[in-house]
Amino acid sequence: MTNTEIRPVRPEPTRPRRARKASEPAATTARTRGTRLLAVLFLAPTVVGIVVFTVVPIVGSVVLSLFQWDVIDDPRWAGAANYREILTDSTVLVSFRNTLVFMVLAVALQLLIALVLAIAVNGRMPKWLRSVFRSAFFFPLVLSAASISVVMKYLFNQDFGPVNWLLGTVGIPSVPWLTSENGAMAAVVLAYVWQQFGFSFLLFVGGLNNIPKEVHEAAALDGASGVRKHLAITLPLLSPTLLVASVVGIINALQVFEQPYVLTAGGPGDSTRTVVMVIYETAFEQLRFGEASAVGVLLFALIMAVTALQFRLSRRYVHYQ
Amino acid sequence: MTDSLLSRRGLMRYGAYGAGAAAVAGVAAGWDRLIAADIPGRDDGSLVIATLGSAFNLDAQRALRDGFREVHPDIKIRINPVQAYDWSDFFSKILTQIAAGTAPDLVYVATEGVQLFAQRLGVPLDRWAKRDAAELRSYFADVHPSLVESMMYEGSLYQLPVEFNAADMYLNTRVLERAGADLPDNDWTHDDFTTLLRAMKRSNGAGFTPYFWTNRLWGGVVPWLFAGGTNLLAESKAPGGDWLWNSFYPEAQRRGRGGGYRWTTPLADSDRVAEVYDYLASLIQEDLCTRPEGGDGRNLVGVFSTGRVGVTPAGGFWAGGLHEAGMKPTDYDVRYFPRRHTRRHQFGAAGYAMLRTSKMRDEAWEFIKYAARKDVMTQLFAANQTTPARRSMVDAARYRETGPAHWQVFYDTLDKIPSTGPIPAPPQVNEVEQLLIKHTGTALASPGAVRPALRRLQGDLEKAMEREV
Repeated sequence: MTNTEIRPVRPEPTRPRRARKASEPAATTARTRGTRLLAVLFLAPTVVGIVVFTVVPIVGSVVLSLFQWDVIDDPRWAGAANYREILTDSTVLVSFRNTLVFMVLAVALQLLIALVLAIAVNGRMPKWLRSVFRSAFFFPLVLSAASISVVMKYLFNQDFGPVNWLLGTVGIPSVPWLTSENGAMAAVVLAYVWQQFGFSFLLFVGGLNNIPKEVHEAAALDGASGVRKHLAITLPLLSPTLLVASVVGIINALQVFEQPYVLTAGGPGDSTRTVVMVIYETAFEQLRFGEASAVGVLLFALIMAVTALQFRLSRRYVHYQ
Repeated sequence: MTDSLLSRRGLMRYGAYGAGAAAVAGVAAGWDRLIAADIPGRDDGSLVIATLGSAFNLDAQRALRDGFREVHPDIKIRINPVQAYDWSDFFSKILTQIAAGTAPDLVYVATEGVQLFAQRLGVPLDRWAKRDAAELRSYFADVHPSLVESMMYEGSLYQLPVEFNAADMYLNTRVLERAGADLPDNDWTHDDFTTLLRAMKRSNGAGFTPYFWTNRLWGGVVPWLFAGGTNLLAESKAPGGDWLWNSFYPEAQRRGRGGGYRWTTPLADSDRVAEVYDYLASLIQEDLCTRPEGGDGRNLVGVFSTGRVGVTPAGGFWAGGLHEAGMKPTDYDVRYFPRRHTRRHQFGAAGYAMLRTSKMRDEAWEFIKYAARKDVMTQLFAANQTTPARRSMVDAARYRETGPAHWQVFYDTLDKIPSTGPIPAPPQVNEVEQLLIKHTGTALASPGAVRPALRRLQGDLEKAMEREV
């Protein structure tokens, strides 16, 4: 065998981890180790918090959903009985339907109102007036949902409420806001949207400010109308913000409790009873914590599924600059 | 190697930070600070009494606490007022405290929760009541046996009632005047009632509601069921209780008494119940009353006192509320509930229940006796926010300032109508009330909805009553 002998070159096996390590300095510096340690130290409290206050309760709920427990006596093993019970309970099934209907109406209305107002506030107006609008639209979000609902209950009262009085002044007959199925859902949605749209509004205002003015200016030079500019430029460039607002909005809407609880107590009949209301009533009023946990687990699964679907769809509809 | 040097310095710096943080933490740990154990009465051997926060005002609570300390200086007590929207909410919070291991010794419990607490959490008071019979004789002589019977469960006594409220009918006299109507006779009927509401409607403008009612167990559809000669659940009496009746009540008053009420088979799909719902539906369709869900007791005093409502069911508790709202004693009056097949009325009562978890049972009993004393109840109920369970306290002097003129109705509802009884409140009461509210709303939502809704109510009640609490 000579030195000129040509040997087939055997490629080194691909080992990305080794390759990355080879690209690093010969030895990991103490500074890097220190930085990593610091990063871990900073993250640790949050991770511990998430584990203690989120992961453990979720696991606890799943475990509890397999038991019968009334707070007073020790839990008894129930297996899948709680799930069988709730899946045949018409109130539970109706509450899931109501919650989905509420979610669709509330989130659509909330995003629409927030977007329109954000575009309006982002238009030409004095800076101080813009601040006034921003504060006014955000203000309901910092109020307690229960307090707002108490006020709304008075406003929507069919017999003595100012809303019907106002409608009456323009000849619209009294609307049974809280005492008819459609009226009650409408009142709950309106009360919820009034409080919640401020969050999406702020997100949209931030998102609109991030859209380069030059793009709109170029479109204007090309003769695009105002509506056209918003449809063709604003909305696509705002789609990442829309995704965040809709994900948060849907998660919140699926957990709605205070507004229907205070305004209608779930009625008339079950027409505004939501899943979280059923969880509360089953656990704290009927002392069936196992079944309540089972409903909670199903709601958790629903939220996860809807959120995953949103992110899946976002690949097609969300445009990043 | 510069990096290496820097790293050592860095490590020393982080070490110094760590030592500093540990020192700060150590100082903070050693600092005097407020912790849960510092709450007065917590874990110091106090007798803990949970009351519905809104039931007594702060002065009354202070009087209750200070007065008891004077009589029993050796017993430490702590009043724990629990804020809650209604009894159901209150019980939920008490159960949460029990689950958290901070159960009170005594809980103020109304009829709604008597059987739930008795079955699951309560201690019968029989042995103490027998032991102190001589001391209690004057109390029982002053309290109607119906109230006492409503606090019994399966032959045992669980509470001494200190207050009650029967559902009578309040009428706004200014609205009556505008309608050209007199105060109805105490023996009035449903027809008289409907006629009066129509007259009120005619003589008052838009925005006026003749009859206002709420959708709940007490004061909702139940008094109408009682007047209609029926109930939500079949009613019977548990055996036992002779020890109490024979010791404290004369023959005439103890006849027919038992060991407490039993509510069993649902009656929601019976013709009598449907008849009552049909009547209420007709009032709604004629626009003579609010829809039940529209009624909310929180703004009721306001709309009644300003003349936007003519009639509403309430107990003695409303005298104080209307007085505070500025109504003069002559601005309103009270009558029995209009009769249909019977004149039976409903009531709800309240008293202190002793919990099984209590380690201070003898001390708790002393408090129960103390709270049922006339002088104590006089202090507690000075504002007429309820009807005292002691007959002798319901007198002209009490209602001189607040009204109503016919205050006698409050206790006469028990004394003159012997059939008057408590609202149906089995141990499954929370679910029963939820179902009643839900299906009443549906039944009265549209014409023709009564019977289908009552059939669903019947099915759901049967399921609830079969369930172990």
